[in-house]
Order: sequence, then structure tokens, then C-alpha cells
Amino acid sequence: MISVESLSKTYGGVKVLDLQELVIPKGEIFGLVGNNGAGKTTFFSLLLDLIESTSGRVTINDIDVQKSEAWKPATSAFIDESYLIGYLTVEEYYQFIGRLRGKTEEEVTIFVKGFEPFFNSEVLNQKKYLRDFSKGNQKKAGIIGALIGHPEIVILDEPFANLDPTTQIRLKHLLKEEAEKYGTTFLISSHDLTHVTEVCERIVLLEKGVILKDIKTTASTLKELEAYFSN
Amino acid sequence: MSISLKQSLSLAKKKFFRAPQWELKMAARIFIGFLTLYFLLVFLGLGIGLFFIIRKVFPEADPISVVNQWLIYFFALDFLFRYFLQNPPVSDVKSLLIQPITKAQIIRRVMLRSLTSFFNFIPLIILLPFCIVVSKENGTTLSLWIWFIGILTLSGVNNFLVFLVNKNKRVAIGTISFIAGGYLLETYLEVPILSFFNQAFDLLYTQSLGLGIPLAVFILMWYLTEKFLKAQLYLDKGLSKKKERIIGSKLYFLDAWGPTGVLLKNDIRLIIRNIRARQVVMMGFLFLFYGLIFFTQDIYNDNPTILIFAGIFITGGFMISFGQFVPAWDSEYYSFLMGQNLPYIEYLKSKLYLLMFSVVVCTILSFPYLYFGKKTMLIIVAAGVFNFGFGSLINLFSGAYNVTPIKLNVKAKAFENTQGFNLTQMLFALPKLVLPVVVFYIPNLFFGFYAGVIGLFIAGVLGFLFKNQLLTQIEKTYQSKKYETLAAFNKNNI
Repeated sequence: MISVESLSKTYGGVKVLDLQELVIPKGEIFGLVGNNGAGKTTFFSLLLDLIESTSGRVTINDIDVQKSEAWKPATSAFIDESYLIGYLTVEEYYQFIGRLRGKTEEEVTIFVKGFEPFFNSEVLNQKKYLRDFSKGNQKKAGIIGALIGHPEIVILDEPFANLDPTTQIRLKHLLKEEAEKYGTTFLISSHDLTHVTEVCERIVLLEKGVILKDIKTTASTLKELEAYFSN
Repeated sequence: MSISLKQSLSLAKKKFFRAPQWELKMAARIFIGFLTLYFLLVFLGLGIGLFFIIRKVFPEADPISVVNQWLIYFFALDFLFRYFLQNPPVSDVKSLLIQPITKAQIIRRVMLRSLTSFFNFIPLIILLPFCIVVSKENGTTLSLWIWFIGILTLSGVNNFLVFLVNKNKRVAIGTISFIAGGYLLETYLEVPILSFFNQAFDLLYTQSLGLGIPLAVFILMWYLTEKFLKAQLYLDKGLSKKKERIIGSKLYFLDAWGPTGVLLKNDIRLIIRNIRARQVVMMGFLFLFYGLIFFTQDIYNDNPTILIFAGIFITGGFMISFGQFVPAWDSEYYSFLMGQNLPYIEYLKSKLYLLMFSVVVCTILSFPYLYFGKKTMLIIVAAGVFNFGFGSLINLFSGAYNVTPIKLNVKAKAFENTQGFNLTQMLFALPKLVLPVVVFYIPNLFFGFYAGVIGLFIAGVLGFLFKNQLLTQIEKTYQSKKYETLAAFNKNNI
């Protein structure tokens, strides 16, 4: 469970994030939408203790992320290409993550083979370094990397961007399946309103760092969001 | 429309002032400016002194023809250096391709820019003062200056030859074998192969019309390079990324080491698979030969305190050159590492082990120095023990203050090696280099040589014994600088 208490971040006198209260229960597929500069990446960076909050705190399973590192076993993320290690092959990258998560080499190999339909034969056994992968295949590689060892919480920034249409659809099924099977909590930010309303049970709309809407997804959510973004 | 000088200067200015820690980079530039000036003066001195050296050693011979005997070696060496270090400056060509500029213009720009390379200035800096001295001493002759222009033109030929060779390994091996074979045949069997070149260079001096040949070759080279580059100017040709072979995929022996082993495996791959890392590590190993400067000279040999310096560099060359960029080596994916199931202390421990391991390897590799006597070897081993136990911790600690990111797979240009360079690092040179000297010097002063050696041993052993406590302190420093480090490392990604 993730809990946010009066969390704020200020850059040069400008408040870029100001969240009074937000609780994300275990197993929820949580969507975050908002225009550029709304504070999505800032929020994720605070969650992962990559930037220091100006005030307030984030706790993951009651652990203050700024005070202890004990949240790390429960959490994983794929934000952008800088979450890949460019000079490794994809298999080595997975073994790296897997070993740190206490998995054996075999377990990791079997686990990632299970995603072959998602990879569409373009990721495994490529005999090249991750830095030489195309953007789309880097994304595929990174998303699955974040799932290794079934972490409780998985944070994905713009997972649909750069993927081809087939893979986008496969990703939606994949996220739902993982959440259902293992009770994984997903935090997903996206500019694709159709996808995000289809996958997420709950959607939070940010504007200039403040929560504008916090909606349980229904059939009318897409319309509601589209109405907001058309203005 | 082409990019004007003013525009590109303004871009360069912005790149410089908007980079993290630009004030420190400024200091680094000034420092490197002095270094360049120093080398310039060395070459200049060589050029001026050359004439007098030749006159002393070969009083009968014509100085030009003496130089001509060596020119073929110079050009071969020049070619090899260019082959390994000089790249055609095509990095920004991609963005120009679809601009309203003709391909001919782009190519001309690339070729002209390549002529401003450092290598083209070496013959100029050496030969210009040489020719001036010759003309002062022996009287100015037209043929002297024609020879001078001819040699510069041939250096320009080398410049374009490297383009055309295009990293073809066979040509490099061929050049080396030709020169080596030619030398051997000439000295032992008196087969005149290389002296043919001497005569050709002499011809340039004696027959002024000979200048036509290098000029013609240069024009031919220009034409061929133009044609070659034109064919390369496509995304799937010269501008494509070369496919790399996977190296270092096994390394299973590290699996037994737990999380530290996992990280060490990564570090080894980092070193062997990235251009920049390879460069730095090679430089570190060159320090192994540092002792040859000191141990061969009597002035130093009588002063053990100076020899400690040599020992520190021999056993810690890799540690210092690699260690000063911890954690910047991982800057490209630092955010990722910080979110992994990996306590900070484990990360630091793996780096420390790598540094300590490198000291052991360097110390073992330095055993041939036993040739200079047991005392010399003892100094090296004592410096090794200090580096192993104590120096490694200082290096790791200093890394916390180096927050300039490193681009891993990009070559550092000669004299532009400011990546990750900063003033704090220069200050940290004090404990890294001066502290061991002090640790040796004080006991040495009061109780003699062996006391100094014991001092170094004790410092090393103490560092090793209190490793965990000191590591915890270092971790605190890293933790407190975590956000600053991340912000600096991510500056280029955002």
C-alpha cells in the first residue's frame, strides 16, 4: 500500500506538486493522467526517492521512503531508457535484476520466456546490446524487466508510448493478468486516454501539481476525461 | 544555407555554460590550456634543438637528409596514431542531411574540419622552427621551403588516407609489418627498401619540381576522399551504427559472491564494453611503467620518499584512474540502480572490492621491478599495501563528490578530456598521493627506511581492519549527496 501525506515539491519558488492525501491500496491498477508539467514524473520520482520532497512524505507499506531503504524489495519501475543498462544484452540485464531480487538464473530464464508472445521474437536472443535496440524494443525489454520477481508495486511511466499497436493491446492484457494473478499494484501514467481508461480501475487527473479529479473508472470516464482535455 | 561560424560558436558557448559544474570545467580548461601550451613548447624546443643535435651527432651530413632518413618512420607512426585515434568528424552530419545544403558542401565541411586535427599541427610545430633555424645557420634556400611544404602536404595525405582506409585492420597490420620488415631487411640483409623513401624525400629537397608529386597525390587524395564520403553519406552506410560483438558474456565465477558478485560482473562488462571506460583503464595500466622513469635514475634512487610516489602510481594507477569516476561510471542508469533491491552499502562494497582487487593485480604485475633491487620492490609492496587497505577507501570516498556524469560509449578527444574532471577531485589527490608519502616520511626521518615501510604497512592494515566502520561513514556521505548526484546525472536526460 502506498500512502501520501501532504506531499509537496517546490522548484525555485514554484510548487510543481502539492498532494494533500492519496492512498493507493494493494492490487489496484492506478492511472495517472495530465498534461506535460502536471507533476506525474515528479510524483513517481518522489515515490522512488529520486528527489527530495519539500514537505510531507510518501510511505510504501508504512516505510518512509526517505528514511529507510526497506521499500526497495517491494518496488520496481520502468520510467525511461535510463532504466536499462545499455552495455548489457537483454538476458544479462534480466539476470542482473533477478539476482538482486533473489531469483536463480534458471528462474529468471523461465520467467522471461513466458513473455515470448509479448516480445514477438524481437527481444530475446538478439545477440546485441540494449543500447542498440530500437526504442520500441527497449520499452518492451524494460517493462518485463520491472516485473521480474513479482514485486508488489510496479511503476510504469508512459508504457504505451513507442509500442506498436499489437504490442499496446498485448500490454493491456498483460497488466490486467499480472494484477489479477499476483495482486500487483500498478502505477501507470499515460497520455493515451483510451488505453488508460481501459486498463486502470482508478484514474487521478493532475493539473499543475494538484489532484483535479480522482475517479473510479466507469463507462463514462473516457468521455469525462476527453471533455477536460478538450478545454 | 550553412551554419555560420558565429552560430556554431554560440552553440559551443551555450553547451559549455549550461553544463553542470561549468565553473570547475572552466578551471579544467585553463589547466588543460597550460598543458597544451607545455606540449607546444616541448615540440617547439624539439624543432629548434633538432638542428643542433644533428650538427653535433652527424657533423658532416646535411641536416635535411638526416631528417629525411627518419621521415618514413614518422609518417608510419603518424598514420598508425591517426588510424587508432582520429575519427572523421561526422557526428553532426545526420542532422544536416535534410537541411537545404548540398551534399558537396557537407563533405567539404567535414574534410576541412578534419584538416584542423591536432595531428596536422605536429609536423608544423616541429618543422617550422627547424627550418627557420636551418635557414638562419645555413642560409635561406628556396629548396628548403619547398621541402617543408612538401612534407606538410604529405602529412595532409596521411590525414585523408585514414578516411579511405576506414578502420580496415589489414591496412594497419600491413603498415606495421612493412615498416618492421623493411627495417629488418635493411639493417641485417642490406636490402634497400626504406632508403628508397629517403631518396624520394631527398629528391623533394634537391629537385624543386619534385614538389609536384606530393601536391598531385594530395589532390588525388582529396578527390578520392570526396568520392568515398559521398558514397558513405547514407544512414545505412557510413552513418550506420556498427554491430558490436558480444564480449565477456560468461564470467560465471562471480556468481558465488552474492549481490557483490552481480555488481562486479557488471563492472567488468562496463570496463570491457565501453570505449570511454576502456580508455581510462588502459591509462591506469600505463602507470605500471611509471617506475621506469624513477628507478633508472640515480637522483631519485637515493631518495626513497620520491620512490613512494612511484610505488603509489604503479600499484594504484588503475585504482586512481577508475576510482575517481565512481559513481559516475553508473551515471547513465543511476536512477534505475537506486530503485533496485540493492542497499547502497552493497553497491559501495562492490566498488571497493574492485579497487582493492586492482591493487592486488597491479602489485603482482609489478614484480619484474625486482630487477632494480629488493629495496625498490619493498617500496612498491609497501605502497601496494597502503593502497589496498587505505587508498581504496579514500578513492571511494572522493567519488561521492564527483557528480559530473560520464557518457560511457563516447571517446574522449585528445586535450578535451574534461569529462568528470573537477577541482574537488584535484584536492583529493592530496590524501591519495601526499598522505602515503607523509606516512612514510615521518618514521623514515626518525627511525630510518624500514620504519617508513612499516608505517605504510600499518596504515594499510588499519584501513583494512576498520573497513566496515569506514565504509558505513562513506555510505552516509553518499546517502547525503544522493539527490544532488541524481540531479546532476539526470541533467542530460530530462
